[in-house]
Order: sequence, then C-alpha cells, then structure tokens
Amino acid sequence: MGKTMKHIVKRRGHTEAYDERKLYAAVFSACQSVREPSGSAELIADKVVSDINEWMGNKHEVTSNDIRANAALHLKAYNPDAAYIYLHHRVVW
Amino acid sequence: MYRKKNNKPKIVDFDLIVVGTGAGGGVAAHMAAARGKKVAVIEQESIGGECPNYGCVPTKAILQSAKMYNTVQKVSDFGIKVGKTEVDLGAIHSWKNQAVKNTGTDEGRQAYERSGITVIRGHAHFLDPWMLSVGKRRYSAHNFLVATGSHDVVPPIHGLKECDYIGYRQALELTTMPKKLFIIGGGAIGSEFTHYFSSFGVEVHLADFMPHLLGNEDPEVGELVEAIFEQEGVNVHTETRVIKIVNKGKQHVVSFEKLGKVHSVTVDKVMLAAGKSPNVDLGLENAGVHYDKKRGIHVERTMQTTAPHIYAAGDVTGRYMFTHVASYESRIAGHNMFSPLKHMADYRAVPRAIYVEPEVAGVGATEAELKKKGKKYQSAAVPISVIGRSNVSQQDTGFVKILANKKGVILGASIVAPRAGEMIHELALAVQWRMKASKIDYTMHAYPTWSQAVRICANKISCR
Repeated sequence: MGKTMKHIVKRRGHTEAYDERKLYAAVFSACQSVREPSGSAELIADKVVSDINEWMGNKHEVTSNDIRANAALHLKAYNPDAAYIYLHHRVVW
Repeated sequence: MYRKKNNKPKIVDFDLIVVGTGAGGGVAAHMAAARGKKVAVIEQESIGGECPNYGCVPTKAILQSAKMYNTVQKVSDFGIKVGKTEVDLGAIHSWKNQAVKNTGTDEGRQAYERSGITVIRGHAHFLDPWMLSVGKRRYSAHNFLVATGSHDVVPPIHGLKECDYIGYRQALELTTMPKKLFIIGGGAIGSEFTHYFSSFGVEVHLADFMPHLLGNEDPEVGELVEAIFEQEGVNVHTETRVIKIVNKGKQHVVSFEKLGKVHSVTVDKVMLAAGKSPNVDLGLENAGVHYDKKRGIHVERTMQTTAPHIYAAGDVTGRYMFTHVASYESRIAGHNMFSPLKHMADYRAVPRAIYVEPEVAGVGATEAELKKKGKKYQSAAVPISVIGRSNVSQQDTGFVKILANKKGVILGASIVAPRAGEMIHELALAVQWRMKASKIDYTMHAYPTWSQAVRICANKISCR
C-alpha cells in the first residue's frame, strides 16, 4: 500500500494537498529571522517536518491551524524564539 | 462554497457522532439510537475499547488464574490433597482470550449495526465544531461525544525507550514468564501485575515515587499491601525514582535512587505502569473544545465541553479512569444531549477496587482529601480477624475503615479483605445517600460473612 495523500483544510475552508516543503520553508525562515545559523536552521526544520509527518500518521485531513500549533510546539523545544515568530508571524509582520 | 466557521449546519449526516466505542461511548450511542436518533460511532482500534479487550476483562481473567494457583497451594490446610501443580501459560492465555470473547467484543460491530448505529473505522479529527474527518471522508453531526480513552504515560527515564519495555497490553501476551521483572509504578495496574507475576514465582521489583503503594488510597491500605507483597517475596521500593536503564545483552540493568542512595538491579523485563494520560489528539482546538494534555478535556457536570454540543466522557476527561465512571458519564451525556432537563454527574461515591489478594476497595473521600478540604471527620477501623468468616477461611489479613463527619454521616471508606470489591458497595450506598453509620449498624448482617466487619466498624462510629 502506498502512502495516501494528506490534505490541509485552510482558514477559508478550501483544501489543498499537504506540502512538507512549505512547512520546511516556514520553519527555516522563522529560525533565520532569530539569527539561527543556516546549518542549524536546516537541521531544526528537518526535525520539525519529520515530527509533523509522524504526527500526521493516520490522519487524512488536518487544518492549517493544527499544523501551525503542532509545528510551533515542536519548534519550541529547539528554539523558543523561532517558535514565537513562527506562530505569530502574521501579527508581527 | 465553504460553510462559514462555527455556524450550525442545517443538514447534517448524523444526530450524534460518538468518537470511541468503549464504555464512555457505547452507552450514549445505544441510548441515542433507542430514541430513534441517527447515530455513528468512530473507532480506530478494537470495538469495545480498552476494558473488554486489553484492560479490566483480560487482567481479571489472568488474576483469576493466579488466585486459583494460590488456592491450590493452600488446599492441604483444609484437608484436601492434590498432586503437583504446574502453570501452563498457553492455557492461561486461552482462558483469558475466552473471557474476552465472552464479553461479546467479537461481534461488537454487528451489535452496533443491529441497533441501527453506523460503525466507521479510522482516526477522527475535528475540522470545525460541526464536522470531523475520518480517512478520506468528512462527517457532520448536531452533537458529538468524545470518548477516546487514554494511553500509557511514558516517564522521561534515560534508556527506557531502548530497553524494549512492556506495558500492560504486552504483559498480557507474554509467552514465557520472565525470571526477574522490574515494574515502574505502584498504582492499581502495577500492583495487580505484581501480584500476578509473583504468584507464579517471578522475582518482582516494584518501584514507586510515592511514600506508599496505591498512593491515591489511605496510607494504611498501601502499607498493608506493601507488607503482603514483601511477605510474598516482592521487592517493594517506595519513595524511589528510576534514574536509568542500561541494556546488558538480553537483560536490563535498572538504576534507581531510594532515600538518597543509588541502587541497581539486573532484570529480564521492564514493565511500565506509571499512569495514564487522556487521548486528546483529535483536533479539539478546531472545535473550540478546551483541554489540557495531562488533565484531559474540561467538562461541566453535564458532561458538556466548552463547545456545548460536544460532550466528553470516560478517561478522556481525566477525572476517574474507571470503566464504571465512563459508562456513568456516558449515560449522563446520552441523556443531556437530547433533553432540555440536564442531569448532573455526581462523583461523591465512586467505588474503586484493586484485585490483589486480599482485594482492596475504597469509596468516597480519603483522609488526605478531607484534610485538604479542611473538613472535620472521625474514623474507625476494624481488623477482619475479629469476624467469624475470617476464622473459618483462615484469612485474617485486612481491615475495614470508615470515615464519617461529626454527626456520623459516612464520607468515605477503605477495605482490605478477600471480597472487598463486593463489600464496598454497602458503603458506596451510604456515601451516595449521606447515610449515618448507625443505619448500617442497625441493619442485620448475615453470620458468618465478610460484610459483618462493615457493620462492626459502623458500630464503632455510631456508639461514640
């Protein structure tokens, strides 16, 4: 059995396919914005993406809020400042 | 067109969707179906949930085997001779599986479908307050009941994850008995498995960070159980913190700190029984349901969550993790969601039973709880050795203890006795209906029964 495609329900209600690259990019840029070195930011983004993939496990559909809250929770363990920026970037910027 | 968030939909798939088919979910599902409502249940594991498949039923079945084995060892005291007794672990498993089968879990799905309830398999995840996703489909309803149960807590112990530890589910399926076993956690599960394994000759080390085993009960209960275990050859380590576990070939070296000193013991298996934590990973934030990862979903006494059309029952509420509490809460939720007159849950007289030998049972408040609330109380205790049944059974270990207010109204009780799990209900009735100890004292109790100890204990309070 192949992997089933995961879907994200966005804030406005529409759905799009889960793309871990978008999550990676968001976590990476949150890390960089708090002066985390590139290498370390890549490692952290990798770990967060892998944590979220594991959490997604048996779920077919989750909301973008779920992804954001869970990714922030995992990111907090590696870099709390980056987690804050990641969680609130819509308000901050 | 997408539906605007938080707006109650006019057309839904079901009147009620129940997440979880255990005691917390099943009762409400059947109640709603009996009222003619359109109901669905969602289950990702075995139908019937924890209790009949992995919890109460199989554990009590294997504990019955242990009890039978212990009884046979003592029959010569009663004038009966038997030959050599042997333990057949395969046969114990067959008996346990038969007991599980007898509960009807095999036909769990059909039982729901016969009642007109739709069974959906998979993991449920709320997308908004009125809709959840299971697999590739979405389902909406006017009411929801979350009864997702709980999972084992894994404490942060260095080397624990690498040591291939077992939980109670794996302990039930062991094909060979370990020679030496280290159990982390001296609560109900840890104590019952200690009794099971030690009955069959396993060298058990039981560790808990509390000053006594069964830390939620009165201290005398834990002290007595400790003494009984130690008499059976169990190594009880209270006020102990497990520091690390190191693998050594097929064995494991467990290091623990007890009263400031570090000790090590080499064992064949490590069992984890460090408590349970609610299963709350189902997108509750999207539904507006407040929860805490450790304490579970916040519910009112009507079993309503912070989203009034979403109810929760059982272990997921994090209050009392018992099957009887789950089914009680489910009954209240099942009534309240379709009735304008709401029932309120009352936890005054929750009975607790732990199936070691002799059994341990409790109901209502403990001394620690009464002290914490600053309530004035009186207590009385009677050893079971004073009653006739103890004499004819050759079992004299145990006691009955009653806590009452100054007027003699019973607030709580603890029993350690061979039939404590049955005896406690007389006291549960008293606690529930705020009866005075004198009511029990004036009630005739058959001679010679274990329950006579309850009457004698009540007499001690009513005569003050």
